[in-house]
Amino acid sequence: MAEIELRNVRKHWGDFVGVDDVNLKIADEEFVVFLGPSGCGKTTTMRMIAGLEDPSGGEVIIDGEVVNDVDARDRDVAMVFQSYALYPNMTIFENIRFPLRMRGVPKAQHVELVKRAAEMVELGDYLDRKPGALSGGQRQRAALARAVVRQPDVFLMDEPLSNLDAKLRSAMRVQIKHLQRRLKITTVYVTHDQVEAMTLADRIVIMNGGAIQQIGTPDEIYSNPANTFIAGFIGSPPMNLIRGRVEGGTFIAPGVKVEGIDAESGRAVTLGVRPEDCHLNSAPAEMTGIVFGIEPTGDQTLVSLRTDDDLFEIRADRDFRAPLDTTAHISFDRDRLYLFDGVSGERLR
Amino acid sequence: MTQSAATSEGTAISAVPSLRRRRRSPFRRKLFPYLLVAPAVIYLLMITLYPGVYAIYQSFFFVTFTGWVPAGFENYTNLLRDREFWAALWNTLVIGGISLALECVIAMTLAFYAYRDPFIRGWRIIFLMPMLFMPSAVAFIWKLAFNDGRVVSDLLMQLGLISENIDFLGDVWNARLTLIVADVWQWTPFLFIIFVAGLQAQDKEIEEAARLDGASWPAIFWNISLPLMRPVIAVAVILRGIDITTMFANVFIITQGTPGGATETISYFIYRMGFRTFNFGYASAASALMLIFTIIVAQLLLKRFFRSGRA
Repeated sequence: MAEIELRNVRKHWGDFVGVDDVNLKIADEEFVVFLGPSGCGKTTTMRMIAGLEDPSGGEVIIDGEVVNDVDARDRDVAMVFQSYALYPNMTIFENIRFPLRMRGVPKAQHVELVKRAAEMVELGDYLDRKPGALSGGQRQRAALARAVVRQPDVFLMDEPLSNLDAKLRSAMRVQIKHLQRRLKITTVYVTHDQVEAMTLADRIVIMNGGAIQQIGTPDEIYSNPANTFIAGFIGSPPMNLIRGRVEGGTFIAPGVKVEGIDAESGRAVTLGVRPEDCHLNSAPAEMTGIVFGIEPTGDQTLVSLRTDDDLFEIRADRDFRAPLDTTAHISFDRDRLYLFDGVSGERLR
Repeated sequence: MTQSAATSEGTAISAVPSLRRRRRSPFRRKLFPYLLVAPAVIYLLMITLYPGVYAIYQSFFFVTFTGWVPAGFENYTNLLRDREFWAALWNTLVIGGISLALECVIAMTLAFYAYRDPFIRGWRIIFLMPMLFMPSAVAFIWKLAFNDGRVVSDLLMQLGLISENIDFLGDVWNARLTLIVADVWQWTPFLFIIFVAGLQAQDKEIEEAARLDGASWPAIFWNISLPLMRPVIAVAVILRGIDITTMFANVFIITQGTPGGATETISYFIYRMGFRTFNFGYASAASALMLIFTIIVAQLLLKRFFRSGRA
């Protein structure tokens, strides 16, 4: 049970600014994902919540109490590390029991609590092994069990799935989400993988360059990106961003012409179209390009088109095939177009 | 560009049809690496293996000034009956063992406090100092401090801890203590540096995880860092242990084995047999026995520590 609040939190090392003035409120039992490219400050922000890093300024508040000066071991926070950080000299049982021992939980309860935590992550058979004898996925589950065994106030996860292969990753994703719903523990999850963010989060916090770019539910972020950075980061494949200008209500870029754009003439803008909002057309329409590559994924076909100076990706039917260098005409879903300022990248429409 | 380069090269080759691919004989190919390391190996053999083999050979003879008389295993059987030999072995174990234990504990304690310190580079240089002095010079300093100059006694008297001079070399345990202090002073830094490096090499995330699990620094050290240091400790103890069994300079300069042979280590015993009584065969036999002991102990330690140290 805990609310987390960050008030004007900053972190810098000398002149280097890692996290710049972050304000954020995380509700009790909420699952929040920090999403951003590497070096954007998401992990540093999480480490400040954990108490592993001291903020250079601002306040970290857990359950109404400013915890800036509270040592990491005295915040009731559990963390799952990217490297799992299991204790190699202990068996899995000892690993999971360690937080109980250190926090003075009565010995009589240890065995039962450890067993219950291990069962939650389906790890019961491996308790007497050492971490070195487990696979990556099993280690990951052991790390999860160690975090949940003492029912912490806050759950922090630092890219916990990035060392797993794709199949295991999606399986563990479901497990983590299920576990969080069941235990009702406030969770902060750091990742650079937008699929993880979209599937897991109640709310996503997108960070770049040490600052928060946008906070919102996955749906909000997907359908209302605040700027070109977010638009280009979310979605797989991401939104197509076309740099061009507006002339008399028409957006013009090499190979692209979209009428009815509501912006003053001569303004540099960036037009955003998601790949699924583009449709192959038999007659010339908003865009014309030549086929650069075809990537069938089974349920759909991703088509890369080349315009004069850009590559453009659209989503086509699963049975679409075309030889390279064929000319293709594309129409856009007119009410699903995004318009960004050409200079600042901020959303205009 | 690469393509055009490849074509021009291709035409060049076809223009010289007589170009033959040379093959080295497999024998020469295998020999070459050995040739490269040969100088070093020969040098090593000359300065270690030859004297070693020579000493073992010599140990089967009574060596006198007039010639070598074959002795069979008699040097060895005499040694095993020699109370002075066993006393020297015991002294080596006691003095070496206590020194080594103290060095380990002190070095590990210092390392625990120092390894997270931002000034650690500075500490390392300061702690390294004693190791840089010449052992014989250090031995003379300690001899002055404990015996000839009575510095230690004086200090203790000033502090009011004792009332009269202590004759450090007149008492069995005081004399041994002198050797232990000298060795600990000079060699703790060696272990300290190894231990600091070992602790610093440990995964920081494991420490952080333990921190969040609620462990204090001492708890992290006892439960995680120290167990993970086992292989490092094993290597350090073996290196230092081998060194300590050959402790000679301090004994030679400070105590000369007094009082009553209570500080005579095996090295000093061998020296005395060889260069004082000129019983070279006997001294060689003692060296050979010591070599066997050391190898056995080192092997046992290594096996034990590394087997259980594996994750």
